[in-house]
Amino acid sequence: MGKRVIKFTLNGVERDEYVQDNMTMVDFLRKQMNLTGTKRGCEEGECGACTILLDGRAVASCMMLAVEADGHEIVTIEGVKKDGVLHPVQKAFIDKWALQCGFCTPGMIMSALSLLSENPHPTEHEIREGISGNLCRCTGYAKIVEAIDAAAKVMAKEVAE
Amino acid sequence: MAMTRAEYWDEVRSVYKDPKDYVLAGQGNAYVRIDAEAKVTGSAVYTDDVYLPDTWYCKLVHSPYAHAIIKSIDFTEAAKVPGVKGFLTGADFPEGHNLGNPEAFKELADKEPLCRKKVRMVGDEVAAVCATTEEAATEAAALVKVEYEPLPVILDPFDAMKVDAEPIHYPPDQEGTASNLSIFTVMKAGDPDKCFEEADYTDVSYYKTQEMVHAAIEPHGAIAKYENGEYTIWSTTQGAYVSRYWVAWGLGVPESQVRLIKPMMGGGFGGKLDVFAHELCPCKFAERTGHPVKCILKRDEVFKCTRTRHPISFQIESAFTKEGKLLAKRCRHILDGGAYGGSGIAANTLSLICATFPYKVENIDMIARRPYTNHPASGAMRGYSACQVHFAHEIHMDEVANNLGIDPVELRHMNEITPYYTGPTGLEFTSCKFKECMDACAEAVDWKNRWRYPLGSGEGIGFSGSGFMSGTGFPVLVTPHYCSATTIVRLNREGYAVVFTGANDIGQGSDTVMTMIVAEELGLNMDEVKCVQSDTTTTPWDAGSFGSRVTFLGGNAAHHAVGDAKLKLLKHWAEEWDCKPTDIQMADHRVFIPGDSEKNISFNEACYGYEEKNFGRCVAGVGAYNHEGDKDIYVKNVGNYATAYSFSASAAKVTVDKETGQVTLDDFVFGHDCGRPLNIRAVEGQIEGSVLLGLGFTCFEECVYDKDGRHLNPSFRDYRFPTALDMPNIRTFICSEEDAEGPMGAKEAGEGSTAPVGSAIGNAINYATGLVIKELPITPEKLWRALREHEQNPEKVSFGGEGLAEKFASMPPLPDRYDV
Repeated sequence: MGKRVIKFTLNGVERDEYVQDNMTMVDFLRKQMNLTGTKRGCEEGECGACTILLDGRAVASCMMLAVEADGHEIVTIEGVKKDGVLHPVQKAFIDKWALQCGFCTPGMIMSALSLLSENPHPTEHEIREGISGNLCRCTGYAKIVEAIDAAAKVMAKEVAE
Repeated sequence: MAMTRAEYWDEVRSVYKDPKDYVLAGQGNAYVRIDAEAKVTGSAVYTDDVYLPDTWYCKLVHSPYAHAIIKSIDFTEAAKVPGVKGFLTGADFPEGHNLGNPEAFKELADKEPLCRKKVRMVGDEVAAVCATTEEAATEAAALVKVEYEPLPVILDPFDAMKVDAEPIHYPPDQEGTASNLSIFTVMKAGDPDKCFEEADYTDVSYYKTQEMVHAAIEPHGAIAKYENGEYTIWSTTQGAYVSRYWVAWGLGVPESQVRLIKPMMGGGFGGKLDVFAHELCPCKFAERTGHPVKCILKRDEVFKCTRTRHPISFQIESAFTKEGKLLAKRCRHILDGGAYGGSGIAANTLSLICATFPYKVENIDMIARRPYTNHPASGAMRGYSACQVHFAHEIHMDEVANNLGIDPVELRHMNEITPYYTGPTGLEFTSCKFKECMDACAEAVDWKNRWRYPLGSGEGIGFSGSGFMSGTGFPVLVTPHYCSATTIVRLNREGYAVVFTGANDIGQGSDTVMTMIVAEELGLNMDEVKCVQSDTTTTPWDAGSFGSRVTFLGGNAAHHAVGDAKLKLLKHWAEEWDCKPTDIQMADHRVFIPGDSEKNISFNEACYGYEEKNFGRCVAGVGAYNHEGDKDIYVKNVGNYATAYSFSASAAKVTVDKETGQVTLDDFVFGHDCGRPLNIRAVEGQIEGSVLLGLGFTCFEECVYDKDGRHLNPSFRDYRFPTALDMPNIRTFICSEEDAEGPMGAKEAGEGSTAPVGSAIGNAINYATGLVIKELPITPEKLWRALREHEQNPEKVSFGGEGLAEKFASMPPLPDRYDV
């Protein structure tokens, strides 16, 4: 299996990386970039634990090859907190107790970011739809929905100011 | 004379904070989880996130047969894969050192680390491969050639009990009679036969529940290294110490040479209590190669090779007066144990104990049998046995109510367990707010107007109640050790404390609770208490996260430990200040006598002063908690199982689409008696998660097998559980009083709460359709078929559990020992 160099942006930093052709994005992030916040839950695109942002949109990183990132922008959970400041979605997850074991949390947050960038004022149903590709076995989703709703309001207020 | 346990505890408890002064406990959102920031930023380290330099990878080779003799194993082709470094078979582990604990003794353990001669389920581990990369290990594992001689496969637990059944573990006796019983348990009290003779109302009903899995989003796995003659293993375990015992036993080395570290856990739900090949094989490879070796299971391996919830078939007979008093119950529970024992052994006893909850029943005759089959091994799962039992028994309760013409909630009230009731076999209830839980739910769903949705209208409300043990006193995976929880607290003169807790946080937040208890008692902030979590070298013994024991036992251990430290500190200052320790308080970083400005120093000064007078020794406290009980409860079922019991009620409103059989859960209300909630949002989170598990159990989830025992849906694509779109709004009512024995008055909140969910939904579906569904899961297809059949034949309203009456009637008698 061959290898090639890809140029892409990872968490705001431009990178050149030598990548094996058949390596999935999730394995590349975890094993080659040491970014272990992106989780392997099912490796077939069903659980959403490996969700990242590809050009701002949520994708399952187990379902794409690392080489597909060539020329694109990737954001992982490690890139969400900026300059030492938590993102409002992260803050809301903490304040609302919207996590238990935390294994789905990174993917859940990436899906929430994708949703809120497309739809800054989601209804409860739209929030539920936005995270319906992310499985959580602990929380029953109730507090996650509450946290995303609270974060949307905080972000709307920040935009207004 | 030495101090008794009660005297010692009384002294420790004398310096506990007055509950009215609590700043953190019960204040709900006054503090956040200590691991929350790590979890929202991706920095939390789970087992698969432990990367050590030069790590190699292990992959297991699984049996494709449900029951077969291993004829030969050939590694020739596998060895040709570049990067392959070694192989293991059963012969690489000491013979007889099996895992698991039938009848509580390791000599009878039934699971070989790798199968030597025989496989008993599809997925049984027969060999392991080590390679420099995960990909090479996977490729090589697929090339290992194993020759098998297939044996007859038994998938029905009733077939397994037949005298001429194919033996799964035990060879036939001298008369040629096979016994595939892994364990059986009886529970008897009073004179049930007389009650059944004299009762106004008796009945017999059959129910059946399915096999489901835990489906923690984090797959099982481990990484091991070997240095200085010691194995260090990071593992996805719910009990670091118990796993350490079994890993050491499986390897044939002393426990002193195995260190087990539980990193962050991505959920457990009971599925990570047992010890598995994926923990032992990396240890062996690490020893042989000198490299750290990692083995993380793929999702299909988690489905096939770990543990499942016991499917149970029920025969329930009940005797009531015409006024609705429950006189007696006769139950026969048949639990499909699957291929092995392990944590599955406790299921029998728990199924019988739960069948006596949450009602007073003085006359009982109950037997549970757990035969082995060639299904994957069943084990502990959240709401252990209670989910299945409360489904069957609470659907039954509504049937009785309707037959007697009594309101189902009224019938439950007439028989409800009340505070400080002692059951006929010695279960000792303490605080109990079951009545209040039911009242809260009935009011919230407007139960008295429930016929606003007429029978069969497509909409309906269902009700259910349950009880569960809080602080299980007995292990579900036995070791020779004391089944306690232990904690050490050290006070530092630099203004903080450290809590070394053996409790295993598997995601529920127990590390936060332990930290809170210590901070509360010492008058420190949450971030001034550092939590060292379960690691067999740095933290003291704990029997694990199971049986709703963590808050109750672990919390009491933490409370005792901080009390022990606080008592030492306050005794010292009482001497300095010429007062009693109980005159001194700790709050806001101060140690002081209220109203005396002279006797008021900082936490730091207080610790320093103690150290000065004690030759530099720091203030340290040790705490432990356990429930004294007789392990024979697993066969005799007499005595008290737990230190306290929690109670729940729930009500569901559903809409059934009669054209498609689709069930929509519109509303769910939950009343829970968890003692003092130590954090209201944490309790709510446990209940909301319980509703997800219960909804999945009732309407979504089932492991499906073909006739050869092959799992047909081992993926999240084919095994569905509820997404955010499937979940209703959930309203939680905490109906509690402080439990006198609970840590800060708390009881369990996360496990008993799963128990009443299935039957509330099931009863609601029954009222919405006018049918009585007696078998889970209630999938759209099953419901659609039942509705169609009912249309053709309006007389038939009961569906599910068909054929069970004949199967129960033709069971062989129990072996003499217990045929009482």
